[in-house]
Amino acid sequence: MAVWQVVVLLDLALALGVGGGYLWWGRQVERLQSEVVEARAAAAGPREYRAEGVIRAVLPEVGVVVITHDEITGYMPAMTMGFRAVSPKIYEAVQVGDAVRFTLGGTPPNLAITAIDKLGR
Amino acid sequence: MTALGLVARFVHLSASILIVGSAALILLAGRSDRPTALAWESRVGALTRALVWLALLAGIVVLAHQAATLESRAAAALEPAALARVALETRFGHVWLVRQGLLLLLGVFVSLRFDVRRAVDWRAARAETALLGALALAALAAAGHAAAVEPSAAAAIAADVGHVLAAGVWAGALPALVLLLRVASRDAGADARPYAVLAARRFSRAALALVLALLGTGVLIAVVQVGSVGALLGTRYGRLLVLKLVLVLAALAAAALGRGRLLPALGGEAVTVGRPAMRRLAGSVAVEAACVLAILGVVTALGVSPPARHEQPDWPLGFRLALGALADTPDGWPFVLVGSQIAILGLVAALCSLALRAARLPLLAGGGVLVLAGLAMAVPPFATDAYPTTYQRPAVPYQAASIAAGAALYARDCVSCHGPAGAGDGAAARAFSPPPPDLRAHHAALHTAGDLYWWITHGRRAMPAFGHLEPDQRWSLVNYLRALGTADAVRRLGAVVEPDRPRLVAPDFAFTVGPTPPRALRDYRGARIVLVVLYTLPASRSRLAELAARYELLVPLGVEVIAVPTDATPDAIKRLGAEPRVFFPVVTDGAPEIVTTYALLTPGPHVEFLVDRQGYLRAVEAAPRGTERLLQNVHALNEEKVSVAPPAEHVH
Repeated sequence: MAVWQVVVLLDLALALGVGGGYLWWGRQVERLQSEVVEARAAAAGPREYRAEGVIRAVLPEVGVVVITHDEITGYMPAMTMGFRAVSPKIYEAVQVGDAVRFTLGGTPPNLAITAIDKLGR
Repeated sequence: MTALGLVARFVHLSASILIVGSAALILLAGRSDRPTALAWESRVGALTRALVWLALLAGIVVLAHQAATLESRAAAALEPAALARVALETRFGHVWLVRQGLLLLLGVFVSLRFDVRRAVDWRAARAETALLGALALAALAAAGHAAAVEPSAAAAIAADVGHVLAAGVWAGALPALVLLLRVASRDAGADARPYAVLAARRFSRAALALVLALLGTGVLIAVVQVGSVGALLGTRYGRLLVLKLVLVLAALAAAALGRGRLLPALGGEAVTVGRPAMRRLAGSVAVEAACVLAILGVVTALGVSPPARHEQPDWPLGFRLALGALADTPDGWPFVLVGSQIAILGLVAALCSLALRAARLPLLAGGGVLVLAGLAMAVPPFATDAYPTTYQRPAVPYQAASIAAGAALYARDCVSCHGPAGAGDGAAARAFSPPPPDLRAHHAALHTAGDLYWWITHGRRAMPAFGHLEPDQRWSLVNYLRALGTADAVRRLGAVVEPDRPRLVAPDFAFTVGPTPPRALRDYRGARIVLVVLYTLPASRSRLAELAARYELLVPLGVEVIAVPTDATPDAIKRLGAEPRVFFPVVTDGAPEIVTTYALLTPGPHVEFLVDRQGYLRAVEAAPRGTERLLQNVHALNEEKVSVAPPAEHVH
């Protein structure tokens, strides 16, 4: 075998090695992504989230409580937004400015507040 | 231990570079059938084999040293488990594995000593040696400082790859070239003389392009890793870089002298022609190679030093140059004008020397003298006092908490002389001649934060030293002085956004709303326009109701409103009441510091500060009415093309 043929073979092998490594890496990433998707799918169904926040408004006419809350782990970042309450009783005891710990229940994205407790302050 | 690791790194780097350069030179010079040339080629081949195994060996020592450093115990260098951890679990290790693999492949390839009598085989074998060596060398960049550059590591790595490859081809080829010139200049090697001349000419041409590429990529890397004059002279990394530049200049001078005069004197097939010139050229290339070896030593030290950008520079000189300095010394202007003219004249003379061959040397010398004399005249007016801390960045960020702490210290220790607003009109100020300076005016332009820190620490003229304060307290005072300067400028800031005003950094602050975790003003940078509202109940109630009613419109326009009560209380939201419904953040914790800082900028029971998306104060209004102007301002900011960079983390 001539030297130039050896060299060509060697370069081919190198290119294959690099290409193969790149593809393997791509497969690895794909597998991880599909795992995440599966984990998300497995998480479907009724869920419960807890977070802390401060009451900004109670809107009894639509049964909504607006809360500035910290991050709801696994669901949404910190923000101010309105949450539906499962029953008017839930917001009877709280008023604007109260620091609270609240529980969201239901199947995402149809979540509603199932409980509110005032934080001692 | 450290010395051993450094030596191993140096040997590893030098060997890797020599492998690439030797192979590149052989490719550049081409194939020859003269016996001396063939003997030289096989000698370089033997050298390459030795270098590959040396690089592999040094690589293993480097890995062992890295393991000992990472686990901070010397014994780890000899433990297989620790070595495996470094090789398999760190980025350095991954790159190391790739490089050692390529070097091993190269070692096997060059050890096989193929029969290369056919031209195509010769070319393939030599090119493969160069390719494998270059790949192994280029991979170095992926584990260096460039890989840690945020946010564009890929660009930094690309610049590094270009730099090491150009260095490999240029610097690595020098020893092989010396060998060739030496053997060809001997009596016995006369048959290879035309080949040596060809090699030297081709290399010389390639070297010019390579050195230009080295300079270009080198400047890019230096800008990223050093970034400022203070860091260049004030840190270990920067000083090593200066040393490297000096050595590079020495190498280039040797190259220019050698090539410029000796290269044309080479040539001719006759035995005697050009022989002394060739021997002298070998000498000058050897000097160049020695400089390169020293440069590689410095590069090794650079590789293990933290990049200058991450260090606090310790300025070594008693002065520094600043454009602002000229404003203080108006009688310096004539010197600057005349001096710069003289320097330009000298430059023109030096350029002319390139064109006029006859009077080249006198013109060049005269031009050089003129340039030096002109600079000696023009530069001194730009000099201003500097101290070891001049280029240091505040150790405490420019934040409301620090400014408020600085304000308290100022009120205790400084106000009696410097006056409540820093105007130099304190109660005790009359006792001094000259009076204390106006801290609000141009101290910001002419003096760095590090200058102020030095004066606070060591005193200045009649001012006593306050070195007994904690470093953080002294930096807080510096931050407070910066805020004082900003306050002075805010007075000229109107209620309407105007594009051409100087940019004033809005002091950052941390705040919390209810039980949620703390946020900071800077979190909104690049995302939202922020209206910081300092309010006092009950007078501000109607204005807050107005903003609350407009909030639904402001949010889609990209505005966040942060309401800060001047009488801070955890009950701030409760006090606003249920009606009207206020949905924007109302600060319940962190308010006193914010109020102290922002009241310094514009005092009042109700003040609104408009902060643009880069974090600059753009409009200030006390007790505004209606939201027309606010909406106009927001519109102006939304329409504005962003041309100003966001503020740096530190002051200069």
